[in-house]
Amino acid sequence: MLGPAAVVLKAIFAALIANGLLLAFILLRRTYRKWYFARRDARVYQLRQKWDAIISGRIPYDTWRTNSLQRRIVETIALDAFEAAGPEESARLLKFLRNSGLIEKRIFEARHHTGWRRLRSLVALGRTRAPEGIPALAEGLRDRNQETRLAALRGLGRMGCPKAAEEILDWVSEKGLKIPELPLQSALVQCCAERPQMLLPYIQRANGRVREVLGRVLGEVATPSMAADLLPFAGDELDELRAAAARALANSQSDLAPYVLDDLARDPVWFVRLRAIVSLGKLSDSRAIPSLLRGLTDSNRLVRLRAAEALVGLGVEMAPIFEQVVATRDRYGLHAYLTALENSNLKRKLEAEIEDESRMDQEAKKILQLVLQTGSLPDQKLRAGEESAPQMAAL
Amino acid sequence: MLRFLDISNHALFWYYVASNLAYLVMLLVALKTSFAHQRRLESHRLNWLKESPLAPPITMIAPAHNEENSIRIAVRNLLQLDYPQLEVIVVNDGSTDRTLEEMREEFGLRLVRALYVPQVKCAPVRGLYRSDVDARLLVIDKEPGGSKADAVNAGLNAASSPYICVVDADSILENDALLRIMVPILDDPKRVVAVGGIIRVLNGSEIAEGRLRRVRLPRKSIEVIQVIEYLRAFLIGREAWGQGNMLMIISGAFGVFKTDLVRTVGGFRASAIGEDFDLVARLHRHLRQIRADYQMKFVPDPMCWTEAPSDLKSLGRQRARWQKGLLDVLWTNRDMLFVRRYGRIGFIALPYLWLFELLAPIIEIAGIATIVLAVCMGALSQGFFLQFLVFGFAFATMISIGSVLQEEITYKRYNDWQDVARLLSYCFLEHFPYRQMHMVWRLQGLWQYLRGDNAWRPLTRKGLASAGAP
Repeated sequence: MLGPAAVVLKAIFAALIANGLLLAFILLRRTYRKWYFARRDARVYQLRQKWDAIISGRIPYDTWRTNSLQRRIVETIALDAFEAAGPEESARLLKFLRNSGLIEKRIFEARHHTGWRRLRSLVALGRTRAPEGIPALAEGLRDRNQETRLAALRGLGRMGCPKAAEEILDWVSEKGLKIPELPLQSALVQCCAERPQMLLPYIQRANGRVREVLGRVLGEVATPSMAADLLPFAGDELDELRAAAARALANSQSDLAPYVLDDLARDPVWFVRLRAIVSLGKLSDSRAIPSLLRGLTDSNRLVRLRAAEALVGLGVEMAPIFEQVVATRDRYGLHAYLTALENSNLKRKLEAEIEDESRMDQEAKKILQLVLQTGSLPDQKLRAGEESAPQMAAL
Repeated sequence: MLRFLDISNHALFWYYVASNLAYLVMLLVALKTSFAHQRRLESHRLNWLKESPLAPPITMIAPAHNEENSIRIAVRNLLQLDYPQLEVIVVNDGSTDRTLEEMREEFGLRLVRALYVPQVKCAPVRGLYRSDVDARLLVIDKEPGGSKADAVNAGLNAASSPYICVVDADSILENDALLRIMVPILDDPKRVVAVGGIIRVLNGSEIAEGRLRRVRLPRKSIEVIQVIEYLRAFLIGREAWGQGNMLMIISGAFGVFKTDLVRTVGGFRASAIGEDFDLVARLHRHLRQIRADYQMKFVPDPMCWTEAPSDLKSLGRQRARWQKGLLDVLWTNRDMLFVRRYGRIGFIALPYLWLFELLAPIIEIAGIATIVLAVCMGALSQGFFLQFLVFGFAFATMISIGSVLQEEITYKRYNDWQDVARLLSYCFLEHFPYRQMHMVWRLQGLWQYLRGDNAWRPLTRKGLASAGAP
């Protein structure tokens, strides 16, 4: 009878009912949460008062474990304390988590639950850093859901032990990259720091992206004792592995390191050069100076910046280095060097060093001081017309 | 005439239904996404991210133009942010007040010759300053460029990190905002090229030592209505568009971008009226043209609090400018419409913006006029007209309450009962006469753009310093 008006009327009723439901939901939820949090806060306060007695076991575990609210509160307090605890306190908390059965419960949940509840258990297990949680976390890596896999991976990363690394590496070798690279790298860096050599056989067996990722991890965790193992990677066909070798050689005490890094600092790929330059800086070896000066004139601005920072941070006499920087006659290199100098607040020191430099004549000192103050090369005004647009565009 | 009115009324009816249904779908998508995000955060302990050696460095770029009242608090807030590798670049864009002096006094600035490569165009730089108090702070003093985009470009030229985060110097970021906004990037750095955070209305809240101390709802009605608008726009609109990788706006007040990519597309367009929207459109264009597998994400929990206009005149100017910006970008990118190469951007996101955002004021005002005319001429029954109005009111209210619900079940920043009650009551009250005024401001914006009147009109702001005052 009403035609289109009937449709509109129905829509009005539907919208009004929806509005009422939404309002009721918001208000009821608020009321419930207010009640719940008041109850929880009171319980948290009570449990905190008895905290020492709870973790020492003087209060029987069953008095709080059978109540789900109390169990959640105790677990949360324990895990939060765990994150900030020193070694002694960590051991005490871990013992409590084991004896009270909280870890066992989480392991059970991680194995038998699915979806959101499994994810939550995996996160909690990771936070405990209990080695007995590793197999359950490793099973979580094979979950169908990516979020669950990520939670398991992060949990294993928190373990920070070679056993956890082995589980991750076996899984990656078997399944390939089933998750984004960065969380994987992050977890492996945490787990392989103690025994980075364990990465080498996996890298040799791996292919493609997995090999690159593992190479990057190796670059992060390599130690000086691995220098000999890393040298072959300096000639690897994968850019990432050459970059990893360059990064790893920063920690090397081998005499060969500056020479290999010098080679890598000439690599056609900019990020390999960048890593090599940064590593040369970390070596704090005066043999690195020529390579760093060359890095100062690199076509890539990040390489120039890092080379300048490395030169300034070498901790050797700065005046002769500054003389060589000026001699490169590279305007951008000079600016990068002056930037690094000013950022480190070492400009005054360099001024004084130039003044005290006995090997330079007065004229040379005057020129260097002028360059230092003005930031311009001695005859830059004459050369200004030759540079400009094309050179800027090349940057 | 009657035939015309009939067609017009039908068209308006279906337009209105489509627009509200689109919002309803977005609300449902946003609710689902928010739940998923909350759960995902469970496996992301923020302090784990903070400790990660692989967290990429970020350069914060904060353009400042005559911000003497806010600049100390704003910069202190940026330097206090929780993030392992941070560089803060404040660009003093030709301020005529004491902005630079305020920073010099507070942070002990000294003139340096920091590396500055003018890779993207901007007005000349007068000098670069490094802070003695905090070496992470670099201040660029430049000639006025006439736009925020110009100032951000100067910061982009000096940035040395793989990611930039553009913020407004009159905004306050929550302490963990950077860690939170980086979550999608840390998860998938290869594909995620830009992430937007949520902007919330600061008015009424209390600030101490550069940090937000207590969140309260503003007192003035016009400010409360803006709170609802922001909730609707961010917690529903952007959440849903982001889910479909069709995010077209990452707010200039808080967004993270890949530095190289922004430089590749030439930085921010100085002549753009809505530079943030323009950049995102150009990034989509570029990435679609090179057939890149990319994502632009919206994350609803990293919060940036900004001062909203508190008088009608300023609000009208702001909304007119936003509408001009919308038209400017949509017109500039009209060649992307319905072109296969641009995929869902060309087929869904841009047509939606044309139809339901850009043309909305014209269609709605013309529609209201024809409905009134039809009622007067007897072509439409008064009963039906009233029903239609009630339906529109009830549906729009439902969307607004939905956005408040979204806030309630996820982030719950308004803890005071009184605040929530007021917020909910304004979900009913915002429709008359605010919405109609809003339409007129937007129409004014379109008219100004078509006349070539793109002058920037200043908004009246109190500054962050006054936000803490009772």
